[in-house]
Amino acid sequence: MSSVEALHDQYSQELRGFGSSLPDDLLQGLKELEEIYDQSQLEQWVKIGVDLAHHSLRSWEATSEFFRVSPAVAKKLTFSELKQWSEIGTYLATDASLMSVAFIKATPDTLNSLNFDDLDVWAKQGQRLCRGNWKSIALAALYFQQSSSLLSVLPLELVDRLVDIIDQLTERSYELANSVLESSYAIFSNLTLEDREPFLLFAKSVTRASWADTRLYFERGPKLIENIASSERTIFLDLASKVTMDVGRQGFPLFVDAAQSLEEIPQEDQKSLLKFATDIAPNSAIAAMEYLKSAPFVRSRLTTEQMERWSVVGVELLNMGNAEGAEAYFRLESSRAEEMLATLSARVELPSVSSMLRMYAKALSGEQVAVLSSEDLVDRNIGWISEAAPTTEGTTIYLPPFVNTFEEQNSNFQVYKVFTTHQTGRLEFGSFNYEFNINGEHTESTAKLRESNRLTNTISSDPEISDVDSQSQEVSTEIQRYFNLFDDRLLISGIFTIVEDTRVGSYVNREYGGIRKWLQRLQNWEVERRPEVRAMGLRQAFVENLLRASLGRPDAIRWPQDRYVTMQKGIKALQMVNLDDATVQDSAEVASALYDIAVLIPNVSQEFTDVEWEPPDEEMIQIAPDMPGGGEGGEAPMPASSDELDFENPDQPEFRGEFKPELVQLMMKLKDQQQGQTDGTASPLTKEQLMELLQNSVEITINEWAEGDLASSLGMFLDNLEKDAATPAGEPKEQSGESGDERGGGDGGDDEELPVEIDWFYYDEWDFRASDYRPRWCRVGERLGDEGELDYYQDILQKHHGLVMETRRQFELMRPESFRKIKRLEDGHEIDLDEAIEFYVDKKAGVGPLARIYTRRNKIERDVAVAFLLDMSASTDEEIEKQRQKYQEEEEDFQDDPSKYFQWLAQRRARQAIEPPKRIIDLEKESTVLVVEALEAIGDSYGIYGFSGYGRDNVEFHVIKDLEEDFNDRVRKRIDKIDPVRSTRMGPAIRHAIQKLDDHDAKVKILIMVSDGRPQDHGYGRDRTEKEYAVHDTKQALNEAKRKGITPFLITVDKEGHDYLKQMCDDIGYEVVDNIESLPRRLPTLYRHLAAE
Amino acid sequence: MTTMEQSQGFKQLAVEDFRISEEPFYLPISDEVELFESAYEQKIPVLLKGPTGVGKTRFIEYMSWKLHKDLQGDENGVPLITVACHEDLTASDLVGRYLLEGDDTRWVDGPITRATKVGAICYLDEVVEARKDTTVLIHPLTDYRRLLPVEKRGELLEAADGFILVMSYNPGYQSALKDLKHSTRQRFIAIEFGYPDRDQETEIIAQESGVDLTIASELAKLAEKVRNLKEHGLGEGVSTRLLVYAGKLIHQGISPRRACEVAVVWALTDDLEVQRSIEEVVTSIFEE
Repeated sequence: MSSVEALHDQYSQELRGFGSSLPDDLLQGLKELEEIYDQSQLEQWVKIGVDLAHHSLRSWEATSEFFRVSPAVAKKLTFSELKQWSEIGTYLATDASLMSVAFIKATPDTLNSLNFDDLDVWAKQGQRLCRGNWKSIALAALYFQQSSSLLSVLPLELVDRLVDIIDQLTERSYELANSVLESSYAIFSNLTLEDREPFLLFAKSVTRASWADTRLYFERGPKLIENIASSERTIFLDLASKVTMDVGRQGFPLFVDAAQSLEEIPQEDQKSLLKFATDIAPNSAIAAMEYLKSAPFVRSRLTTEQMERWSVVGVELLNMGNAEGAEAYFRLESSRAEEMLATLSARVELPSVSSMLRMYAKALSGEQVAVLSSEDLVDRNIGWISEAAPTTEGTTIYLPPFVNTFEEQNSNFQVYKVFTTHQTGRLEFGSFNYEFNINGEHTESTAKLRESNRLTNTISSDPEISDVDSQSQEVSTEIQRYFNLFDDRLLISGIFTIVEDTRVGSYVNREYGGIRKWLQRLQNWEVERRPEVRAMGLRQAFVENLLRASLGRPDAIRWPQDRYVTMQKGIKALQMVNLDDATVQDSAEVASALYDIAVLIPNVSQEFTDVEWEPPDEEMIQIAPDMPGGGEGGEAPMPASSDELDFENPDQPEFRGEFKPELVQLMMKLKDQQQGQTDGTASPLTKEQLMELLQNSVEITINEWAEGDLASSLGMFLDNLEKDAATPAGEPKEQSGESGDERGGGDGGDDEELPVEIDWFYYDEWDFRASDYRPRWCRVGERLGDEGELDYYQDILQKHHGLVMETRRQFELMRPESFRKIKRLEDGHEIDLDEAIEFYVDKKAGVGPLARIYTRRNKIERDVAVAFLLDMSASTDEEIEKQRQKYQEEEEDFQDDPSKYFQWLAQRRARQAIEPPKRIIDLEKESTVLVVEALEAIGDSYGIYGFSGYGRDNVEFHVIKDLEEDFNDRVRKRIDKIDPVRSTRMGPAIRHAIQKLDDHDAKVKILIMVSDGRPQDHGYGRDRTEKEYAVHDTKQALNEAKRKGITPFLITVDKEGHDYLKQMCDDIGYEVVDNIESLPRRLPTLYRHLAAE
Repeated sequence: MTTMEQSQGFKQLAVEDFRISEEPFYLPISDEVELFESAYEQKIPVLLKGPTGVGKTRFIEYMSWKLHKDLQGDENGVPLITVACHEDLTASDLVGRYLLEGDDTRWVDGPITRATKVGAICYLDEVVEARKDTTVLIHPLTDYRRLLPVEKRGELLEAADGFILVMSYNPGYQSALKDLKHSTRQRFIAIEFGYPDRDQETEIIAQESGVDLTIASELAKLAEKVRNLKEHGLGEGVSTRLLVYAGKLIHQGISPRRACEVAVVWALTDDLEVQRSIEEVVTSIFEE
């Protein structure tokens, strides 16, 4: 019997008591170790196992594992080391045998990446996670399980960090800790070696700042940093963890945003951005991240160098200690940032120039044109599809939303100007006024001739079609009839566009010498970008060459040498429209002639011609305009027309944009038709005619429509066209802070059925921390107030009959002030007796008297405009009774007598049943009625507005009575419907009222705001509790009013009002009305004082 | 020129002695010259309507010269008395008043009285500016009576033969406050003055300022464009007078763009946006 068997026999009985499998495990282990250890070592080994089994409850499981893995461990450790290892196993078993099992089991694999010396450290890491409950034990066990793989990707000290994180997470959620631990290997193995440490470091910060984000970070983090240059990832992650340490829970969202922004930036450029961010991070971590967030947007508008200059301004703010200002700056929520951006950027945005260009276009064309973004036209879905090209549909000039062609701002602005001038030119020089068969200034129309020729041809070739053809003589538009003359509508449309644009360009060039330079620059810019002529078919090349000639660059023409005469004929013809006074009729005739030439040129590829394509000689450039005559031969014959390529019209140069004469004429016609201006001779267009026009027109790109359903698509398109024609020409509603003049007094009376129309306006908001405006921060929606019952107004008048009469009288007393006596005049209506006596005395005394003894009464026009701004916030819904209770001690003393109390309560209820309790808003309304009555007596112009809303995007501005509006029953009805809505964002409401007063012409302007408390709204401050921000913004808005020459005045019924009003109003007048019910009496009195000042 | 005094550098003469002795440049736009001559012949008062700077005053000067030449042909021709009306203009400002002189008073004739006496063209410029009670004063002068009551002296003055009353009036700033009473305006025939068309304006500018026809026509083109902007922050289109100023500056060597900036853009409006738009029109028309 071998010693192994002896040992087994010796202990098997004992071990079987713990678990039936133990003896087998022992035997297996012994057999394998026999070759490594001597007898005594084997004995010691068995003893260790047995001791371990005895160690604690269920520690025999560890023994089982010990027996099983020892052979593997023994290969890596000396016997004494093995003994130490087993000791570790033992002390782990003290905490939990399950953990010990996991440890022992994991050891062989783990030793692959771990020294024996670190074994203890490793075990302790696991032990840290174990806190005695079963969840923690399971976690610790999981840790040992994962260790071998983890250690293969992370060094021990980093694993230690990971354990820190997991340990922290366990305080919140074991589930989260588990999932993080389980996912760790996959994450770290996917990260590069260098990234692992910073990734972990940031993870630690995230966990500390906001534990719940850890999972998100582990899930999304690797993906987020994936697109950041590998050399920069460490820097970014380091930055992120510093930031997170600074700002806490905000850190992770900032990291996500910044990482997403960085993704959009080419890797080679990330370095400088990150360097800058790292530099400013010590001053403001948030600013650093905001900078990264804004970087893609800023870069899209600025060059690297410009961006540096832009950033410097933000840094200056930081250096001045205005960290909030810098943050707002880099977040692009500051006017300064936007201004800098606009100043530095070469790019010109349409909104910043549109109203100016509109006036420019009006001046040039003399018509009521509007200027809008091309995007709007595409949205209207009436046949235009390019969002970036300038164009016009006859009443409006459409321009691309921005221009970024050149590197200087001014040049790009000039580009806009050229765009506008060319489009306006189409209106000014009559591109859309084509009339069939009218002679031009330089050419005679052949249209009629062509039409009859065409008819004869068709009849002779196919009599059946002729019938249809003569029917389609009833065309919708003149230009359509013209296009119908040609078989190839695509070709004639392309040629006509070139010719007509040449004519318009030529006019612009002659009439507007000042933009000649820019026109040429753009023409050259376009020529540089034309496609290669040699790659085109011959006919296409011909048309392309015409375009080049039309751009004033005949030198850019490339054409086979042996066919020069054809090209020359074409260019000569084109020159015809460069003559003074050429009209669109000339263009049409020239286009017809060019068509005749082009249609004979087969569209074959260059391979079929063996002659070199040459630039033209001097002679060709310097030719006189001429219409092509009969056959001037002497030229190589055209190649055979087999194997033709598809013909395409050349792309329009950008500055000329889209040209759709057929659609424009159609729209004009539809418009006339709808406005009943048909000239008697023309019958209204039928649906069939329209459909035919649309189907034939090459101005509509068919593939834009839903496939296979052409008819219904065209139908929808037609609806759009008709709808569009129905809207009157001129300016569509604008949505900028400047406008708002479109809506007039509500005396229409018949638009009641329409849904509430809201006009939107944008206003800046003052951020006192940043000492700067947040640009276009608030959106104010102006709408007419709802209408209620007329009875309300009458009831109030009756109820306050006495007061109404009194205030009216008081106000009427103000009228005589409108005459002022001027004294000491040499000539006047009356003699001032005092002056006369004085004069006489002086004269007697012989002192040089002046005969200024007359007086005169000068009439002074009373010229006052006032806007009342009523707080319609939810708090005005509060009953006055309750309010009073807040401030006053409960007056009633029931002396603990419940019966008295119930009596009082019953009385009160009865009282309330008869007359509902009064709310603050009710008093506001009553005051309004009184003020209105008084103001009507005195004749000042006044507006009444209510405001409320929720959040910065939805500030509601209710118009009860506009300044220009007459006082009528609708206004009376609207007063009834003044109801509490939501919050009180005073700033934008004040700014909108300022705008209204500013647009109104009056010598004295007053803004009176009635409110019941401090300004507050969602997001009107850093957090819910902050009041400073709102107060500062309101103050700023009031100051803006003063700057515009408006006298602002605040009335509040909030007794605590003194606190913030003092700060908010500074030197602006305000009053706290102590007794709320005196408001209706007080308001007119106050107004009298204000307006008299 | 009877009471003319001539000393260093300035002329001083009584209002009724002022005559236009040299032909002023005036380019007739339509039949206004014949109309005026007929009205003068028939002693019908004339109202000249039109925006500022289109040549109303120039027209009346021209007519004064022309009538002077055609009718009299000598020194005692038709004098021109111009009164610029303003809102403080009183009846005594027009008719005359007593002035104190030592212990005595002395009567001094007002311009309208003088005109009545000598038979002059009495030109009330911008008559809407005057107060309504003042304008009523001229009523008896404008109908068949041709009488001027001089209330303070208790006299009635019959107008001399050559006398005619002419008023100018700018309907551009028509507000309810500043409009002519119907009883006043229906005593006059009205000659409308509009802006001249491009060719005529070109000629006027060239003639008045001395610039060549090319520049003049560019200026006229500018005017046409700017006038398209009426009702757009611009109370009135640019006047021919301003264009002549611009032309004169150009003639003096100022660059056309700059000249238009000071004489047209800034003179017309204070609205920055409108200024900018007009400036762009200027830079479109004139090369650098």
